[in-house]
Amino acid sequence: MKFISIAFLLAAIPLSAQTKYPPMPRTAEGKPDLTGVWQGGSNRVGSWEEANDGTGVGGTGTAKPSPTPANVPAREPAPYQPWAAKKVLEFFNRRGIDDPEASCAAPGVPRITTIGLFPMQIVQTPKTVVMLFEVFHVFRIIPINAKHPDDLEPSYMGDSVGHWEGDALVVDVTGFNDKTWLGPIGTFHSEALHVTERYTRVDYNTINYDVTMEDPNVLTKPWNTHNTIMLRNGTRLREYECAENNADMERYEKLLKDDSVFRRK
Amino acid sequence: MRFLGFLLAAALPVLAHHSFGAEFDANKPITLTGVITKIEWTNPHSYFYLDVKDKDGKVANWKFEGYPPNVLYRTGWKREVTIKEGDTITVFGWRARDGTDWAHSREVTFRDGKKLFFGPPAGTGDGGNTPVVELP
Repeated sequence: MKFISIAFLLAAIPLSAQTKYPPMPRTAEGKPDLTGVWQGGSNRVGSWEEANDGTGVGGTGTAKPSPTPANVPAREPAPYQPWAAKKVLEFFNRRGIDDPEASCAAPGVPRITTIGLFPMQIVQTPKTVVMLFEVFHVFRIIPINAKHPDDLEPSYMGDSVGHWEGDALVVDVTGFNDKTWLGPIGTFHSEALHVTERYTRVDYNTINYDVTMEDPNVLTKPWNTHNTIMLRNGTRLREYECAENNADMERYEKLLKDDSVFRRK
Repeated sequence: MRFLGFLLAAALPVLAHHSFGAEFDANKPITLTGVITKIEWTNPHSYFYLDVKDKDGKVANWKFEGYPPNVLYRTGWKREVTIKEGDTITVFGWRARDGTDWAHSREVTFRDGKKLFFGPPAGTGDGGNTPVVELP
């Protein structure tokens, strides 16, 4: 009887929790050490191969049985002003042909961190945190306890400065241009965008990634999102030279003239 | 009030690039067997070309699009090892809207029965099924 109940309990615990992982690493200063190769837009523990065995984009389809999709909690709609929500919906109906990434441009923040198809690498020192992204060769340099420069020009990735609040690395990002999307399709913004990111490494495998986006020109209130970033030991960043053979702009140009064949009703 | 999932949209890896619907038709699946004539390991998409013989013996050279090399490596492909010119393979994918010998590749089956994905599922980059906003 006892044996059966233990087996039942074990089966109910996710595999990840049954595997022994080291404690969360800390730096000499006692801060969580974020150094490593990571995958954003995922909540699965394990190596790249183990965590990407489903049939979605970038998955190998080798899982037996196929993993069930994560139970996604309901979220409120993005708080766009009514005129801006109409514009987002129009981008949605055009199925992504307006995506600023189509030209190989840097995807902006926080979108860059949710592109789970490509790994990212974090290098942490006491004075600087550097984030390197395989996709588009994008990097972020985040000085700790620094102020934003006073001569910022609008840019795709904005200007980042960080500080520690307990175990959370808080990154303040400003100085954006208006040429990127925040994440899901059509989520445009203005140059007034202000992003606050909180990176909290809660265990060996997981960074909680909590973001607040503020833009009084298009949003009615701050937009808060939560995602996780998962450790991917054994993976290395490779090259993604998007401009090599990019046909998207040519394809989209045709469709911008007549999108009737593929647009949503 | 109907709630929508930002996390859902964000948790699915966003394929940087490429609205599937802009070029290909998910209602036109196709499975072809033929001989590899050329492979291009290029960004942001790789391509392979396949000589396919019809029932009258006439050969057409088909072009298939797929993942860039970095993603192919992580999904199990090795350049010059997994697939080479002259190999016979079967590919499943979806045809281009323009009706030419050109398609989006999904699954490649090798002669020994092994299968690998050369490209993502249909509909990637099209923005999912639910918009992130709700109109009043």
